[in-house]
Amino acid sequence: MIVKDVFSDVLLGLAVLIVAGASLGVLLMRDSYQKLHYVTPAALVAPLLVALAVLVQMGWYQNTGETFLALFFMAIAGPYLSHATMRAIRVRETGDWRPGRGHDSPAREKEQ
Amino acid sequence: MVLGFTAAAIAMLIAIIPAGITLCRGDLATAVVAYEFITAVIVMVLALLAQAFQRSGLFELPVILAVLMFGGGLVFVRTMERWL
Repeated sequence: MIVKDVFSDVLLGLAVLIVAGASLGVLLMRDSYQKLHYVTPAALVAPLLVALAVLVQMGWYQNTGETFLALFFMAIAGPYLSHATMRAIRVRETGDWRPGRGHDSPAREKEQ
Repeated sequence: MVLGFTAAAIAMLIAIIPAGITLCRGDLATAVVAYEFITAVIVMVLALLAQAFQRSGLFELPVILAVLMFGGGLVFVRTMERWL
């Protein structure tokens, strides 16, 4: 019983450290592209540690299954959301997400 | 109540304060990134609190929020790309 508690507490501590570090990364990085890289540890690694902590504490039970289900949805959604966000930021900045077609393309700069 | 899970939930809520500052003070693109970060952490906080209070019914909330995070995030991002 005590070993289970210690192991789940260690996993939870790691998850909190990852979230705290990623949160500082979101605050301190220069632009949105760099900040976006710090969403992934909090959206994928930390939930995995939390799900493992629940598994250690409860064993294979309904609660564990639902926690892993939430983790599954986050793992599916994370890459799509990151890609869509990065694309939207680039479209806002240059007018087009494709290289050479936006405001920053060499052809457009030559025209201006 | 499981103390470790409660403490972890409180610690995570404190840990998102820097992301909250980014959300409030950054430009629109930065705020969307901070919003995605905070939503992902809140999914974990809901799971931690459900485990802490030993309520099986509460475990549905993080599952629902994880699904809505995807749809809501895409709506925000698409709106930002097209109209804002």
